[in-house]
Amino acid sequence: MTRSTAETLVTDWIAGIEESFAEAADDRVTEEIALAGAPVRLEFASARMFDRLAPGFAHLVEPAAAPPELTIRIWDSAGAIAEPPLPDVPPGPRGRIYYSEDGSVRVAYQPGLKLFSVLDRYRGLGWFWCSAAEELPYWESSSPFRQLLHWWLPSRNMLLVHGAAVGRAEGGVLLVGRGGSGKSTSALACLESDLLYAADDYCALDDRAPAVHSLYCSGKLEPAHAARLHHLPEPTIDGDGSEDEKAVFFVQDNYPDRVCRSFPLRAVLAPKIAGDEARMVPLAGAVALRALAPSTLLQLHPADPEAFARMARLVNSVAAYSFELGREIAAIPSAIERLLDELGPA
Amino acid sequence: MKVRVNAPHVIAETIGGETIIVHLSTGCYFNLGGPAVDIWEGVAAGEASAAITQRLLARYEAREAEIGAAVTRILSELEREELVVADNGGAPATDGAAAAPAPTAARAPFEEPSVNKFTDMQDIILLDPVHEVDARGWPHTDPANA
Repeated sequence: MTRSTAETLVTDWIAGIEESFAEAADDRVTEEIALAGAPVRLEFASARMFDRLAPGFAHLVEPAAAPPELTIRIWDSAGAIAEPPLPDVPPGPRGRIYYSEDGSVRVAYQPGLKLFSVLDRYRGLGWFWCSAAEELPYWESSSPFRQLLHWWLPSRNMLLVHGAAVGRAEGGVLLVGRGGSGKSTSALACLESDLLYAADDYCALDDRAPAVHSLYCSGKLEPAHAARLHHLPEPTIDGDGSEDEKAVFFVQDNYPDRVCRSFPLRAVLAPKIAGDEARMVPLAGAVALRALAPSTLLQLHPADPEAFARMARLVNSVAAYSFELGREIAAIPSAIERLLDELGPA
Repeated sequence: MKVRVNAPHVIAETIGGETIIVHLSTGCYFNLGGPAVDIWEGVAAGEASAAITQRLLARYEAREAEIGAAVTRILSELEREELVVADNGGAPATDGAAAAPAPTAARAPFEEPSVNKFTDMQDIILLDPVHEVDARGWPHTDPANA
């Protein structure tokens, strides 16, 4: 059987990507992690890429017990390393994304940031390239490979969602809402309590027997907000004070016993900066869905209508509350603990 | 008048008597409640405005003219927000009389339907606009130029 011209072109193009990675990978560092319960291998071409992108997965590192279900090859073109065969598209503004899909291969390219993500879903093989490690924006260090994981997680019947998550081994909460609603502050405030930390911005969600799976052990806050959480260590990546630059913490570094990989989901909370005292007010499922779904669907491409349906089923299957955060940050974890006590184990 | 959902740019879910609609290209999202949910469900089912009016007449206590005017207004608003587009082709519109559900025993009071628009997530799309590359574009190279 002969391959079509289109198949040959994609195969040759992938071969060009592999060639670029191989040229860069003279100082390869491999990390085996358990991500959303699956063995995943991260192949960093260099220590500089490892240093920028591996810390977020530190809580998931474990020896591989089985062949990886996903392998991601990660490199940059610092020095004289040839760039991979990049799409010929106009640069445009910083965040502009070009997306293409061809059979099992999905591609996203941000020419303004020079970030390139490719996933071959059938082969369980992904590639992530940037022009230079030191130019990676802070959010790529705190939440690496979001696009690749958004494409890959459905193969595990999971969704990547925009939300923070804290709880106990027997059950926890998902905090949802647009940026600035208090998700990160709430999640990082819980580090001083008995609650476990799973996410501050993105996590994997299994809606069948509702459960949250941690993807990253990072937390990020605007520097002014970070200053209000006195227990936090010095950030690993320091915000420069500008509006779009946040301080990034790797929770595993300072609270290794407070980070967890997953827990059953007991409730969805929509934090709201309101009230004098932290309290939970029951919320209609539709309002919770409004807090969860648009911010998730609009950030990750392509948006999947089935993911929207699954998020709707999720908010129907667990309790939902508006979480009025009150004035005292220290009261946030106790309010969540009280709620979990009331709800009991899953 | 017949319109259809502006897929794939628009996706929607109905939960607890409320429909949430997300426009993936503009970054706006919307909620519909009460009779507006019935109107959206009629659109999604491929019904023309006459059939949607009959659908509402079976459920709500109001004059046909009042409901018909509300249906026209909401469909126009949905079209203005590009949540629906005119459907001049495809399957024939479902005939209103034939499609009319049997009136429910106790019809609900008719409240003026409304479309609520939220723009607080729009900056996501404005900052990170997405461009689909068509099948002839990258990553393929045009064989003629290869």
